Amino acid sequence: MSAWINYHAVWKILVFGLVVGAGLPTLFAVGVRLNAEGASVTGDTGVAHRNRVPVAISSAIFAVVLIAVTTAVLYVARDFLGQYTGVYILGAKHN
Amino acid sequence: MLEGLLVATIVVAVAFDFTNGFHDTGNAMATSIATGALKPKVAVALSAVMNLIGAFLSTAVAATIAKGLVDSHLVTLELVFAGLVGGIVWNLVTWLLGIPSSSSHALIGGIVGAMIAAVGAHGVIWKGLVSNVIAPAVLSPLIAGLVATIGTWLVYRAVRGVPEKRTNTGFRYGQIGSASLVSLAHGTNDAQKTMGVIFLALISYGAVSSTETMPPLWVIVSCAAAIAAGTYIGGWRVIRTLGKGLVDIQSPQGMAAECSSAAIILLSSHFGYSLSTTHVATGSILGSGVGKPGAKVRWGLAGRMAAAWLITLPSAALVGAITYFIVHAVGGYDGATIGFALLVALSAAIWLRSRRAPVDSTNVNEEWEGGLTPPSVKGATGAEPASTLVDAP
Repeated sequence: MSAWINYHAVWKILVFGLVVGAGLPTLFAVGVRLNAEGASVTGDTGVAHRNRVPVAISSAIFAVVLIAVTTAVLYVARDFLGQYTGVYILGAKHN
Repeated sequence: MLEGLLVATIVVAVAFDFTNGFHDTGNAMATSIATGALKPKVAVALSAVMNLIGAFLSTAVAATIAKGLVDSHLVTLELVFAGLVGGIVWNLVTWLLGIPSSSSHALIGGIVGAMIAAVGAHGVIWKGLVSNVIAPAVLSPLIAGLVATIGTWLVYRAVRGVPEKRTNTGFRYGQIGSASLVSLAHGTNDAQKTMGVIFLALISYGAVSSTETMPPLWVIVSCAAAIAAGTYIGGWRVIRTLGKGLVDIQSPQGMAAECSSAAIILLSSHFGYSLSTTHVATGSILGSGVGKPGAKVRWGLAGRMAAAWLITLPSAALVGAITYFIVHAVGGYDGATIGFALLVALSAAIWLRSRRAPVDSTNVNEEWEGGLTPPSVKGATGAEPASTLVDAP
């Protein structure tokens, strides 16, 4: 039956899909939350001030998400980039 | 004579790529338009640019569209031409009805139908059709839906208790980024399919050696331009169904849905699993409705959509077969000319029909009141709902 349904590819797509497709937006949401919490903490005086620690962590999270996405796009484009720029990255094929 | 047929086939292939673009704009941009993260015109422009870039990025030749599905020794120019006509006609009909059906299925259906008309059922590799087309069509919306459901649930869990107005800006940026990724993924996937078809036509004509692995640059450029132009025109009818019809979508859901879509599309092309971007996007959007606590999903509409998916292959195959009979009976360049004229006439008729209840960038986001036709259009003209996709009460 496996010739009719490519189980091998399916489970890989499901597992990696969950890690990237559900994991990254969740990480991003944690960043959004920390940013929202840190950005406007209302103190005793009633004046909003920034709380640096959560904001810093959220910035780090956004950076991680951005790096992950950029790496993924470069990975997809690696052969194209290699062929037209001569820069071979992430295991691009040499032609 | 044959040269004329080659030119006609390439023109029709580029035309198919154009319909592919505007039929599928909604896959990437429907949720961003619906939540207001992007203005409609800005959304389609962004999507067009990302599709254009995407079409260049991946160099994996998608001759897979025909390889493994039909006996490539039996492929003729007439057959490819007829198959493309089948794909275009089905894309236009489903666009008129606002149904996000698969452009890849339309194309494959058209080619399979033309093959059956040409040599009979033995020209089709049925096992390949099941494992490369039909099984993925069943599985990919389920996988995408599951990933989007879990993603949406986790995203809402992560921001629980934080007032919405403080998270909205962040999620809108997330949505714009993720929608751009889906557009990029779409360009790498779908533009490749048409490139594969033109490549196939060139090989069958003998203009390109069958040992060649890369299509000529002009093929890549024209396909990229056609899919980008189509995307920019914006299939507003399909965008409306996906963005407003299925689920009343919010920015966090939109972001989760698009991350799921982009991940699944890119992963599957990496693992050599062919699937339809439309099936993935629709599954993801449904999943984002399931994953948000308390969200409403219009399952009736989803069911009618699934029904349309089921008939996409046979319907496009029928049009492909009829076109093949006509083109082949007349023969050669004249046959292609007649086939082309019929295609143009039919396309014009469908376009005129769509003008009776137009959906465009100004009314795409109106509330979903029982059907595709926006309430303002219904009120102004008293037009009947433009589609069969009417919500059951």
